[in-house]
Amino acid sequence: MRISFRYISLLAGMLLLAAGTLRAEEEKATFNPKELVFAHLGDEYGWSIALPGGKHVAIPLPVIVRSRESGWYLFSSSRLEHGAGYAGFRIAPEGPHAGKIVEMNADGQERRPLDLSVTKNVLAVVITALVLLSVLFPLVRWYKHNPLRAPKGLLGFLEKIIEMVYAEVIVPVLGKEARKFGPYLLTLFFFIFFSNLLGLMVVFPGGANVTGNLSVTLALALCTFVVVNVSGSKKYWRETFWPEVPAWLKFPIPLMPLIELFGVLTKPLSLMIRLFANMLAGHLIMLVLVSLIFVFGMMGAVAQGGSALLSVLFALFMGLLDVLICFIQAYVFMILSTIFIALAREK
Amino acid sequence: MALLEPEFGLLFWMLLVFLLMVGVLAKYAWPVILKSMEARAAFIEQGVAYTQEAIERKERAEEEAKSLVAEAKKRQFELLEEARKAKQEMVAEARQAALDEAQKVLETAKLSVEQMKREAESQLRREVGKLSLEIAEKVIRKDLDSDAAQQEMVEKFLNEMEQAN
Repeated sequence: MRISFRYISLLAGMLLLAAGTLRAEEEKATFNPKELVFAHLGDEYGWSIALPGGKHVAIPLPVIVRSRESGWYLFSSSRLEHGAGYAGFRIAPEGPHAGKIVEMNADGQERRPLDLSVTKNVLAVVITALVLLSVLFPLVRWYKHNPLRAPKGLLGFLEKIIEMVYAEVIVPVLGKEARKFGPYLLTLFFFIFFSNLLGLMVVFPGGANVTGNLSVTLALALCTFVVVNVSGSKKYWRETFWPEVPAWLKFPIPLMPLIELFGVLTKPLSLMIRLFANMLAGHLIMLVLVSLIFVFGMMGAVAQGGSALLSVLFALFMGLLDVLICFIQAYVFMILSTIFIALAREK
Repeated sequence: MALLEPEFGLLFWMLLVFLLMVGVLAKYAWPVILKSMEARAAFIEQGVAYTQEAIERKERAEEEAKSLVAEAKKRQFELLEEARKAKQEMVAEARQAALDEAQKVLETAKLSVEQMKREAESQLRREVGKLSLEIAEKVIRKDLDSDAAQQEMVEKFLNEMEQAN
C-alpha cells in the first residue's frame, strides 16, 4: 500500500508540473471541453495524435468516396486537413453533417457522397483484427507442434480465457452444437474484448472509441441477429408467429405475434445499445475527468493543481474500472448471443 | 447527435473485417485450438482413469500374491506332513514284510526239517530192519525158509516194538 501511495503522489506531482506548463498554452485559446470530448468520441478521417508542445500530427488515411455525379474517388485524408477542399469534397465544419465529407451538388446544397473511407475507427478495427490474428495463430502453431502439452506464459493465459468462454459458457449452454457456433461466439468475444482493451490505450495503435461507436456495435448485433434467425428451429418460428396463448390474442388482431416479433428485434438492439453505451460512457468519463483539469486551469494555478490531483486519482480509478468493464461487456455480449442462439435452436 | 447516427462506411468496413475474421479464425484457428484443448482434457481424464485402474490392479495383484504365498505355504506343510506319514507307513510296511518273510522262511525250514527227520526215520527203520534181518539170519539161518517170511516176521516184530514204544 505504501508503495502504491508513493507512486500515485509521484504521478500527481508530475501531472501538476505538466499542467503548469500546459496552462500557458491553454490560456491563449479558450478551452472548449464539449468540442474536445466529442471529437475524441467520434470518428475522424485522419488519425490525429497530440505531441508534447501542443503540436498535432495526423496519420493520413485513404478517403474513398463515390460522388453522385462523378463516380469514385480515392485520395489521402491529408488533402482535406484544415478545411481544405479536394475535387469538390470537403469536411463540413458545421451543420447536420459536421465532421463528415460533403460535396456540393448543382443546387449549391451540401450532400453526403457514398462514403467508404478508411477512417480512424476502420483502421482501429483492422488493427484489432491484426492483434487478434497475431495472438491466436501462435497458439495454433503451439498446438500443432505440441499436441498434448499445455501452453505456458501468455499463450497459457490466452488458453485459460478461451476455456473460460468455451468450456464454461458455450458448451454448457449449447451442448452438442457448441462446436458449430463456438467459432463465431469466440471470435465475437475476442474481437470485442481486444477492441475494448485497445480503446483504453491512450496513444496511436489504440485509443479509438471503436466499441463505443454505434456503427460497430450495430454490425456486431446484426451478425448475432443473422446467426440467431438463420439457425432458428421450427419451434422458434412457431413460438414467434403462433405462440401458445389464447386464440383471441392471435386472431383477428395478431397481438402476441407482434409482441414476439418485437422481441426478436429488441434482442440484438439491446446488445447493440448495451455495448455502445458502456464503452462510450467509459471513454466519456475519462475525457471529462481530464478536461476538468483544463476547465479549472482557466481559474488559476491553485485550482488547476488541486483539480489535476483529484482528476488524475479519479481517472486512475475509472481506468481500472474500465479494464473490468472491457472484459465484462465482451463477456456479456458473448453470453447473451449464446443464449439467444440456444433459445432459437430449441427443439 | 452525430454519435447516435450509424455511419454506413464504418458499418460496411466493420462487417467486412469482422466476417473475414470469423471466416479465417473459424477455418484455421478455432477448430485446431478447440480440438487440441478437448483432446488434452480427454487425455488427462483418461490418464487419471488409467492411473486409478493401475493402482487398483496393483492392490488386487498384491492381495492375490499374498493369498498365493499363504496357500503355497499351507500346501508345503501338507506335503511335508504327507511325506512324513508315508515314510512312517513305508517303514512299518517294510518291517511287517520282513517279519512275514522271516516267518515264512522259518516255517519252510521247519517243514523241511520234519521231512528230513521222517525220511531219516524211515531210512533208519529200513537200515535197522535190514541189519536185524541180517543179524537174525546169521543167528537163525536154518530156522527160516524164505526171505519173505522172514521179512514179514521182522516187520511184525518192529511194529510191535514201535507200538510198545
